Amino acid sequence: MTANSLRDYLDGLEAAGELNRIEQPVSWNLEASAVTTMAALADDVVPMFESVAEAGAEGARLVGDPYRGPRRRPWDRVAAALDLPVGLDRATYYEAVIDRLQHPVEPVLVDGDDAPCKEVVLRGEDANLLAFPWPYLHAGDGGRYSNLHTLVAPDLDSDWTDWTYHRAMLHSASTASLLLLAGEQTPNLFYYGYERRGEPMPVAIAVGTEPAAYFTSTMWIPTGRDEAGFAGGLKGAPVELVECETSDLRVPASAELVVEGTIEPGGRLDEGPFGDYFGYMHGPRRSMPYLTVDAITHRERPIIPFCVEGIGVGHTQNTTTTMELACVGPDATLGLRAAGFDVTACVPWPFTPRTTYTVATDTPYPGYLHELANFIFTTWGMLHVDFFVFVDADVDPNDPSAVLRAIALHADPDADFHQFGVEQMPKVPLNIYQTPAEKGDAETGTSKTRTAKAYIDATAAGDEPDLALPGPDDDRRAAAREVLRTAGFDLSLEPRADEVDA
Amino acid sequence: MTTVRDHLDRLDGDGDLLHVEDRLHWADELPAVAVEAVEANGPAVLFETPPGHVRLVSGLYSGPDRTRVPDRAPWRRLAVGLGLDGDIPYGDFLRALWLPRVEGRPEVVATTETASVDLDLYSLGLPAVGTQGPPAVSLGLLVVADDDGTRWVPARGTVRGGHRIRVVVPAAAVADLDGRASATLALGVPAAALVAAIARWTGSGTGVERVSDIAGALDDVAVVDTEYGRLPAEAEVLMHGVVWAGDEPPAGPAEAWEVGTETAVLKYRVETVETRPDPVVPFSATGHPLADDRQLVSFVEAARLFYRVNNYWGTRPVEWIALPAEAGLGICLVASDVLYAGFEWQLANTMFSFSRLFDKVVLLDTEVPPMDYGRAFDDLWVKAHPSHNWQFSEPDAPAASVPSYRADAATGSRLYVDATWDPTWEETFIAPRVDFAHSFPAPVRRFVRDRWAAMGFTAPLVEAAMALEDGDPDDADD
Repeated sequence: MTANSLRDYLDGLEAAGELNRIEQPVSWNLEASAVTTMAALADDVVPMFESVAEAGAEGARLVGDPYRGPRRRPWDRVAAALDLPVGLDRATYYEAVIDRLQHPVEPVLVDGDDAPCKEVVLRGEDANLLAFPWPYLHAGDGGRYSNLHTLVAPDLDSDWTDWTYHRAMLHSASTASLLLLAGEQTPNLFYYGYERRGEPMPVAIAVGTEPAAYFTSTMWIPTGRDEAGFAGGLKGAPVELVECETSDLRVPASAELVVEGTIEPGGRLDEGPFGDYFGYMHGPRRSMPYLTVDAITHRERPIIPFCVEGIGVGHTQNTTTTMELACVGPDATLGLRAAGFDVTACVPWPFTPRTTYTVATDTPYPGYLHELANFIFTTWGMLHVDFFVFVDADVDPNDPSAVLRAIALHADPDADFHQFGVEQMPKVPLNIYQTPAEKGDAETGTSKTRTAKAYIDATAAGDEPDLALPGPDDDRRAAAREVLRTAGFDLSLEPRADEVDA
Repeated sequence: MTTVRDHLDRLDGDGDLLHVEDRLHWADELPAVAVEAVEANGPAVLFETPPGHVRLVSGLYSGPDRTRVPDRAPWRRLAVGLGLDGDIPYGDFLRALWLPRVEGRPEVVATTETASVDLDLYSLGLPAVGTQGPPAVSLGLLVVADDDGTRWVPARGTVRGGHRIRVVVPAAAVADLDGRASATLALGVPAAALVAAIARWTGSGTGVERVSDIAGALDDVAVVDTEYGRLPAEAEVLMHGVVWAGDEPPAGPAEAWEVGTETAVLKYRVETVETRPDPVVPFSATGHPLADDRQLVSFVEAARLFYRVNNYWGTRPVEWIALPAEAGLGICLVASDVLYAGFEWQLANTMFSFSRLFDKVVLLDTEVPPMDYGRAFDDLWVKAHPSHNWQFSEPDAPAASVPSYRADAATGSRLYVDATWDPTWEETFIAPRVDFAHSFPAPVRRFVRDRWAAMGFTAPLVEAAMALEDGDPDDADD
């Protein structure tokens, strides 16, 4: 059954033996994060901290990287949350998610009395951020963070409400800075809408929503389209929304905790340093907009999920990495198809979140890859992305070896590496190849200096010999695998598409 | 001395050998199983019920795809075949593998355990390659005797009749072949002999002339002096006959040692066949990216480069080198100290000078663990500035041999990616790594270590993640 709340999802994990409820007291101050990190390194189950030392709110709990997927099949827990068949191969999983995204289901509004996120309502001085066990994630971070949530923000000029996952760093009982980097939807709404007109922007941070709501917060949903409908599509049923206490924003009623606040134009507080998604500490700290808390509502014994950012590089998964592979990839594939590019799949590079993507596609006409690359680079959110690798439609973009071979064997340094050195494109400062001076401290969060956004044509040119040896046909392969099974080799971790009962 | 049988026994003891009892057809069923085992990152496979006279084993020198299975070393099986500890660190393995620069002394024994069998080549039951074509010889060693001694040469071939094989060998090894010569095709030779032959006849060679001497430096290899020349005494199959120049190459895909090596085609008429009792012959799933032949070349070339570059400038800056078979041998990873500004250019171009296989080099910091492709192919994207650190040469460099473009050998550009920290940067610009050792102080790390099991986790704690490079967690950061 589709998980209708974070609690549903965690119960499902527990039933599958994939949740570790830890009763021993664990501190929010690095300990919970360290345990979560080791669980990721060991590819062990998801840790849930039932007893958080100095938690603040009575019985408040933490869960570390709840959506982190198992290393060999990172999409499995997301699939379980969405009640997709167990054991889907990657390509089938992709198409299943795409199919659901193509059938949005509009949300429904529920009364506050029916909204679990309003079991406790705190206003005024009672709405105290520091009364909750937000984790301190890495030694050296600029502060404690909420970084696995849905940030709900409205467009000033329409009914559109954007859901994103920009992180928040606590400053006081009533303030938290937000990482708003221009070029993405919500930051653009603020910088070029509210702030330019001198108007405060109401926002809400919905922490611990039902999984589908969080999943869509990480996706590249088109401007003007509410994520809530796509979340309904993902789960196959409407998401329940409830109005905030202090604004007319609507948030997922299933949330564990909601911080309602306002971002004042012109206000800035420090943000960072932070151990960032690309595996290094991002610094120096910079000035970012901040919200002032208007109210906090929450469930009894709220569960605060968090992501240990930065550990999801290489072979290690965390929530960010898994969201890239299991949510952003299918969504990006759908987005490209909707834009008229008949791609087979767009897949994040598995060892590097948000920086490099591989697109498997035919090349129907000269210039197609140039057009495709720069179409993507100019969309929102692309200030993080530096590289696209294009491979032929029959190359599996999920297989890093296959992609590396395509680069090695088909990408001619003379002809197939494009826009390297064309230093004209924008970049977020979340990188380690620019110096602090190059990053600067711009008001809208982008780097002061430009970078290159490059693409590699790793498709085989027409006159290149086919290097692949025709392998056994499907029947022969199936028979061969049966021979291996009979001999005692466990192939369960390497299923083929035709072996999956979808 | 590590014979093929010793090698199999050790893999069996390690649980890295699968015994297949099914009787399978040599032309399609058996090769498909070999391909599928490699594809699934499986163990070596011993086919116990052979289609012919010899038992067959695949994947003896192969290993898992390191981009998908980071916790198993792809060099392990080859290390075991060379009599080394299977858990040998990669750097030590490279050093051990480059003993070919030293002459060894193979043990000379009186006889082999082989005996003549009255069989034609089809009756041996050799498998096809890629599920089609005639029976094939892979991982073979052609022994050619001449006035100066005996040459051991890597050889691939296909059976073209009951007593005939088309063979391809390095051209330099038979350049002086004049007319017909007696030769022996040896199958199932010790790993040291195969490695030595590939090292000797590919790339820039080894500096040691006789492959048997190179093999003797790698392992305790036994040889036997016969009327056919000096033969590997532990070979499972010895086919004696006559070779002469041919014109039509054997069917099927080339083995990896042929790429970048000028080759010659021979016709080979087999006159007698000797086998050991119950012979076992390794074969390669040639054509698969991770097949045995490709892994062998990957390690031999990496070891050659490792030795040469660390004996070039009077210092040893390079921690490790890899030519991932996963990347088709077309990308060279070099983890090195960057000694001074501009050294990265020197280093990359040195690699291009020393090997003709690839035209792409990725330079990494030494903090990247050996063969950690997850980390290496992360730093590639996040550490190298797309404007400044992807360096393309002028388009007048010789074509590399591995890529499929520029098959006409036209000149073109080479690329190196500098994914190391800029040595001119201030120390404060260097971003600290996010990982367990660096992101958590020692008391927190101890908290996790001491309570891991009590908290209910069942997977082993990753001890390697606990310590800082410069100290134990118990001593650090208190």
